[in-house]
Amino acid sequence: MIKEVVTSSTEIARAMGVTIKYFFTKPVTHQFPDEPVEVYPRFRGRHVLKRHENGLERCIGCALCAAACPTDCIYVEAAENTDDERYSPGERYAKVYTINMLRCIFCGYCAEACPTEAVVLEHDFALAEYDRWDAIYPKERLLEPHDASKVVVVRDDEVFVNVSRWGKK
Amino acid sequence: MSDNTVTLIIDGHQVTVPKGTLIVDAAKQIENEIPVFCYHTKMDPVGMCRMCLVEVGTPAINRETRQPELDEAGKPVIRFFPKPMTACTTPVSEGMVVKVDSESALEKRKGILEFLLTSHPLDCPVCDKGGECPLQDLTIRHGPGNSRFDYEDKQRFPKRYPLGDLIVLDMERCIICTRCVRFQEEIAHDPALAVENRGRRAHIVSYTDPVFDSHYSGNTADVCPVGALTTRDFRFGARSWELTNAPSVCNHCGVGCNTVLSTRTGQIKRIMPRQNEAVNEVWICDKGRFGHHFNGSPNRLTTPLVRKDGELVEASWAEALDLVGQKFAAIKEAGGANALGGIAGARLSNEDLYLFQKLFRDVIGAHNIDHRVGLSATLEDETAYTVGVGCGTDLSRTGKGAAILVIGSDLDQEAPVLYLRVAGAAAKRGARLINAGGRQTKLDAQAQTSLRYRYGTATHLALGLLASVVEQKLVDEAGIEARATGFAELKKALQNYATAKVADVTGVDAEEINAAAKAFAEADNGIIIFGLEAGNDSALRAALEALALVTGHAGEADNGLIAVLPHANSRGAADMGVVPDRLPGYAPVDGEAGLSAQEMLAGESGLKGMLIAGVDPAAESEAYQAALEGLDFLVVQELFLTETAKLADVVLPVKGAAERDGTFTNLERRVQAFDIGVPAPGLAWADWLVLVAIAGRLGAEWLYASADGVMAEITQQVPLYAGMEFENLTAPVSLERKTSHYIYEGMSFTADAREGVQWPTLAENNAEGGPKLPLRFIEPAPVAGDEDGFTLVGSRFLYDGGRLLAESQVVESRIRQPQILLSKLDAQRLGVANGDEVTVSQNGVSVALPVKINRMVAEGTAVAPRNVAGRPVEKLVGPGGVYATVKVEKT
Ligand code: SF4
Ligand code: SF4
Ligand code: SF4
Ligand code: SF4
Ligand code: FES
Repeated sequence: MIKEVVTSSTEIARAMGVTIKYFFTKPVTHQFPDEPVEVYPRFRGRHVLKRHENGLERCIGCALCAAACPTDCIYVEAAENTDDERYSPGERYAKVYTINMLRCIFCGYCAEACPTEAVVLEHDFALAEYDRWDAIYPKERLLEPHDASKVVVVRDDEVFVNVSRWGKK
Repeated sequence: MSDNTVTLIIDGHQVTVPKGTLIVDAAKQIENEIPVFCYHTKMDPVGMCRMCLVEVGTPAINRETRQPELDEAGKPVIRFFPKPMTACTTPVSEGMVVKVDSESALEKRKGILEFLLTSHPLDCPVCDKGGECPLQDLTIRHGPGNSRFDYEDKQRFPKRYPLGDLIVLDMERCIICTRCVRFQEEIAHDPALAVENRGRRAHIVSYTDPVFDSHYSGNTADVCPVGALTTRDFRFGARSWELTNAPSVCNHCGVGCNTVLSTRTGQIKRIMPRQNEAVNEVWICDKGRFGHHFNGSPNRLTTPLVRKDGELVEASWAEALDLVGQKFAAIKEAGGANALGGIAGARLSNEDLYLFQKLFRDVIGAHNIDHRVGLSATLEDETAYTVGVGCGTDLSRTGKGAAILVIGSDLDQEAPVLYLRVAGAAAKRGARLINAGGRQTKLDAQAQTSLRYRYGTATHLALGLLASVVEQKLVDEAGIEARATGFAELKKALQNYATAKVADVTGVDAEEINAAAKAFAEADNGIIIFGLEAGNDSALRAALEALALVTGHAGEADNGLIAVLPHANSRGAADMGVVPDRLPGYAPVDGEAGLSAQEMLAGESGLKGMLIAGVDPAAESEAYQAALEGLDFLVVQELFLTETAKLADVVLPVKGAAERDGTFTNLERRVQAFDIGVPAPGLAWADWLVLVAIAGRLGAEWLYASADGVMAEITQQVPLYAGMEFENLTAPVSLERKTSHYIYEGMSFTADAREGVQWPTLAENNAEGGPKLPLRFIEPAPVAGDEDGFTLVGSRFLYDGGRLLAESQVVESRIRQPQILLSKLDAQRLGVANGDEVTVSQNGVSVALPVKINRMVAEGTAVAPRNVAGRPVEKLVGPGGVYATVKVEKT
């Protein structure tokens, strides 16, 4: 009986110790969205359709991203640029370009397939919506400008230094 | 080893092929694909691209003994040529050894590819050919991974250079294989393309007016092994791997070309040919390729319409059908079954047409049905039933030893792909082509004999040919004995058609008649093709039928008659008995025949109610319109709110051919099934389903649930269609036929190969003891004396004013507007130039038409397109007429 009281008290004291110890350490929780979150440079967040320096869209509507996508969540419809109405250099542009963010698994294959480096997975991950339909991003929402810097900070620690040792003991 | 075959060894495999086969084709038989760019099975080899280089060796011959040298093991020594050979131009020889995949051959091909790619742009991501591009595929398989060529030295050409309104050329992608140029020359016989300049500046040009003037231009985009030629219509429509492909059949003319509907998100993106050697080989015409936009058109009817207070307002199917049921029942009650009549268009499927006649005959109890209005009024045909071309006829192989007699048809306009095949048989394969017509047509260029008769004397010419055959003792006695009766009477009747006399009447040289008759009768196989301009004349059809039987060109493959009927299912409409005097399968009706379309639309027909499906008689003439306005109740099944639909009391929206399944019977009597490609707009129903519903409202209990269910009944009820279950029609062709006949290249889809089924004619049946055919002679109508004035011919043109084609904007500029084609001399005489207006009058009817000078039109003749806006020619020549003598004056 006494033995039981003693052991449980020490257990409680130990547990309290842990609590008290962490009470005085810096918390790991991020106060998101009041404070920005840090991500690694190669973090794959939501897609952005990039532009050339002159403002033209990089995307040429080739649908190779859609072909590479394992979840089939990209839909592209192409059309022809005219001299009066030009969206991208060359002949072809994406008239319709949508990504269903609910289906996307952020694998980045699309960015890898893109011949013009138009679609890029950037650092924004705050993709919650009140309506499921809003998770299907049309081209207007995907195109630059896009600013995630308020909530996302890219870490500057050198996490990829030892690339050559990956996979080895 | 027989004398006509050669045995050789390709990459260690022995193969035996006919003499003269090229190495590429021999290799294909053992599924060894030798890479090619410029070679195309349907065209003559040129050896331009050098992609097909292989190592070739032949048995060494000892110069002294003239015997093959043998090695120690007693095997013949093979001596290889010092340089690689092009497999596409080298015919096989006995004992030849070919190394396709030897190191040296691979090295050479790699070099060729690097060379071809020196100036090729990196366009694959934006190129319509990407994903089904032979250059892409072969580069992956054989090519070097990179180029040593200096980027700055690349050739620059304009991108997206329009070759006419339909085709876009990207010269940077072109590899100068000249397949497109050769297709236009050898196959389309429209040399509209050419290569200009040489070496690295060589490029493709077209100097015709309008640019790239051909009915077949779309095929060049198919044969182009790269994305240099693409169609304006499909341009950037989808990537090839995103397309869903449904096998279909073209619904624009009677040839019945096999097609593939490539669809994406419920829309047709493009139409491609589907190979069927018996129908269209690998080609389709531009009307078939670009005329599909009616399917997804925003102008389509999407809901039933009912007339309320003089206005057509939207209604539910139940409401519309109830009204149809009530009104039809009331009209029948009051005026008897014969107060009701129906006209069905020949664009409907066999299932629709069968139920259409069944509705009228079984449920309503009237024979007042017909399909012969508009273009269908110009030619009907019952000879297909007796002496139509034999089952197994294959115009893609017709050649030496065969004769083809074309009468009164401008095939290039009436049945484009049939033109390709007939022209090919004559120009490429050596068939004897006799083109008889009232005016010069494109086919004359390939014909060895052109017989130019006076309009209205086609029947005399046919009888003259027949009499000449008898006269020259070229009759096939045994054939007549086996198949026909009444030869003695026919012979007697023909005495009035001695060649000299016929020559006098028709204006054709007597010598030529005799020579043509001889050539046709003596040929091993003979096919007679007759079309719209021969006139809707039963005397002509009887004469041609007799000509086929008397010369023994009936009842066998590659022999017999083909009528160039206007619509996709004109043949089926006749087969299904949508005529007032014949039941399905050409049995005559019991008792009195019903009213024909002309009678029903005559105004005093006594009809109170009509059902019109898929035709637009109101657009034909004001008289028809008045007759339809005079009806108590008119129901129209249509895709669009046509002139006729505007007069209707109830309009029922139906599905287009791409939105439903069914079968068409083409002009060679081949029944072909088509599949569903895209969803229908709104509440449209298939025509057969509408008919089932109407029958239900009239008290019948029809239990058809699908088009193949209706076909199942047709196979039972119509003996001709006994073998036409959907399982048969959609059965894939045999593997053997596939390897020997079919080519797959440059397309992302595996061509779902089905060939359809032909029904046998009486002439074929009587080879197996069926009833004999009477040789008929019908006195031709007397030939009108020479009147002063022009002979105005109402001709059919491919791009006419049909409602379906009007929805395809890409071909808009090619659609014929009302006009009159005159020879240059006549125009000068009248003092008119291109675009000036003339007044054309006959019997008090006169219309004003703009002039177009055309070098094909002879002096004294004027040609005007039928079936165009306002139907001006039909006013002058009559609804079923073809020609008239008219006055032409400057306005
Ligand atoms: S990240 Fe992966 S799943 Fe998401 S769109 Fe790109 S390819 Fe598709
Ligand atoms: S994002 Fe890239 S891969 Fe996707 S369609 Fe545009 S250019 Fe092509
Ligand atoms: S356009 Fe195409 S088919 Fe014509 S020559 Fe060039 S590559 Fe060949
Ligand atoms: S020839 Fe006739 S059936 Fe063939 S594609 Fe042209 S219109 Fe269609
Ligand atoms: S395919 Fe033989 S040379 Fe072009």
